[in-house]
Amino acid sequence: MLKKELTDMNQAATVPEGAAVIAESVSKTFTQWQRKEGAKGIFRQQKRMVTALKDVSFQIHKGEFVAYAGPNGAGKSTTMKLLSGMLQPTEGSISVLGMSPERDRMALMKRIGVLFGNRTELWWDHPVIQSFEWKKVVWNIPDEIYTRNLDRMKELLEIDRIQNTFARELSLGQRMRADLAMMLLHSPELVLLDEPTLGLDVVAKRQMIEFLKKINREDGVTILVTSHDMDDLEEMARRIMMISGGELAYDGDFDGLRRLTGNMTHFTVTTDGRRPEPEGCRLLGGEHGVFEFETDLTHTSVRDLLEMLSKVDGIRDVEIRRAPIEQVIARLYRSWKEEKC
Amino acid sequence: MVDKVSLKRYFKLLGIYARMDLASLMRDGKFMAIVMAADLVSNLSAVSGIFFLAWKFGGIGGMERFEVLFMLAYGNIVMGFLNMMGGCNALFPSRIIGRGQWEHMFIMPLPYGVQLTVGIFPFTCSGTFISGIVLLIAALCNLKVHLPWWWPLLLILQLAASMVIVVSLSYLLSSLAFYAPVQCEEISSTVIYGIEQTMTFPLSGMPGYVKYPLLTLFPAGLTAWFPTMILLGKTAVFENIYPAVFALLAAFTAAHFFKKGFRYYVKKGINRYESGGHRS
Repeated sequence: MLKKELTDMNQAATVPEGAAVIAESVSKTFTQWQRKEGAKGIFRQQKRMVTALKDVSFQIHKGEFVAYAGPNGAGKSTTMKLLSGMLQPTEGSISVLGMSPERDRMALMKRIGVLFGNRTELWWDHPVIQSFEWKKVVWNIPDEIYTRNLDRMKELLEIDRIQNTFARELSLGQRMRADLAMMLLHSPELVLLDEPTLGLDVVAKRQMIEFLKKINREDGVTILVTSHDMDDLEEMARRIMMISGGELAYDGDFDGLRRLTGNMTHFTVTTDGRRPEPEGCRLLGGEHGVFEFETDLTHTSVRDLLEMLSKVDGIRDVEIRRAPIEQVIARLYRSWKEEKC
Repeated sequence: MVDKVSLKRYFKLLGIYARMDLASLMRDGKFMAIVMAADLVSNLSAVSGIFFLAWKFGGIGGMERFEVLFMLAYGNIVMGFLNMMGGCNALFPSRIIGRGQWEHMFIMPLPYGVQLTVGIFPFTCSGTFISGIVLLIAALCNLKVHLPWWWPLLLILQLAASMVIVVSLSYLLSSLAFYAPVQCEEISSTVIYGIEQTMTFPLSGMPGYVKYPLLTLFPAGLTAWFPTMILLGKTAVFENIYPAVFALLAAFTAAHFFKKGFRYYVKKGINRYESGGHRS
């Protein structure tokens, strides 16, 4: 038996049913040049090793919608490139839909869709529909699937309005819509999106989020998405994996993430102008009788909080809400940075 | 299961690129006229200098004026065909690597070889090729030579060998771009333009220290002058297979080093960290 056949058999035996992505102890290192200040630095430039990913392991099940977040330079794009076969890990193994991105590139690309927000797959000097037709031929998409998907994209992403426009003349939001539609023309089972909402205005962003949620819910498309906008991620995904300094720092739901930094809650108190001073709460700001506070619900229960506020003189209204995920993440990033230092 | 790229599918792929190229050309009449005029002027100026010299002096270095024209036409056919077939920078692989365009290729479910050969621009880049054929016919009509029945086959063989040599050199040098994408982004242009400017220089009568390096180390002489000598029956029979043998060796060498560089690129490379990483 050939060595390749043996490897394939072993791989098939170890891939759990229903797993779309399996990363096992994946590490990726690079070399980076360093140049010090002054004339000496010109002649004595040094190389150093950079670990973009360090022993990262995770699994994504079919039909999941997973957010992949982390500060700049954490290793998000590197992970995306490893999963799509653009790079190979220094150590560890990756399986995507039961295939190796390195060995089974062509078969895998027929079944996954990849979109990097900062680049386009559209033909720049051709109308959008021409890029779609090009994709149909290159991906060898059967007529009925192409027509069905194109009709759906026209309906959901309003592609018919821009299909005859040259790609270079599209706005960023239109371009992203066209890119997303093009990526989905071959009915991929797994979609890897790197910063798909980058630079989009509120309307375009909403449209994209709703669309992604819909294809995940209705078509069962597995989605792994990175973004710097945590509110967007929370709205889209049920699970979040957070990476910091190349290591997987958190893998779970968004509420669990909140609990990591304390169960922080924000509340707004409207008074007749007097400033309340509830115990154990931090004033975040306020004027003209509207004050915003932050408190940790692990120390003060909602019941105690309401009881305390009910005793405040001149109170007119109270609004309690969860701490914005952006602030939770910012707090986490800061603590990771401090740990590093 | 991946469908194999059958001949039918290959032609379908060629077809979609050809259609897109035609659509670009036909976008508006003014644009079309400008493209064609620019091509015509460029091709005429490329051949006219040497041909006028040959005309004025009744030939160059032992070659008659229409033999010189034949060589110029041959060079135009070689480069014209390659420009037509390598529309999507396939003739300039270091640009693909240096500009990070290989990442678009990774996500296409086609073998890299197919991707590199189907991106044709048969309309917007056909000027040089067509002018080459017209000039070749003009040269043959004026050269009073008797051509045997197998001569067209010999012509095709020599053209193929010349094209393989040009492509091999470009890929061989471009393999360096896998190690230093930014620094080597334009290395293929240097090779291609270097060949283009040297290939049509008549080497007949030149001293050995000029001729032989141009037939071995930097084989520009094998891409127009030497094949012209073969096709016009001015070489010994055993010399006729030299370009084909050289082309084979060059192709194998280029393939070896290009694959080696590619493996390094995916294993070690990344735009942001690797020194001289690509720009995207």
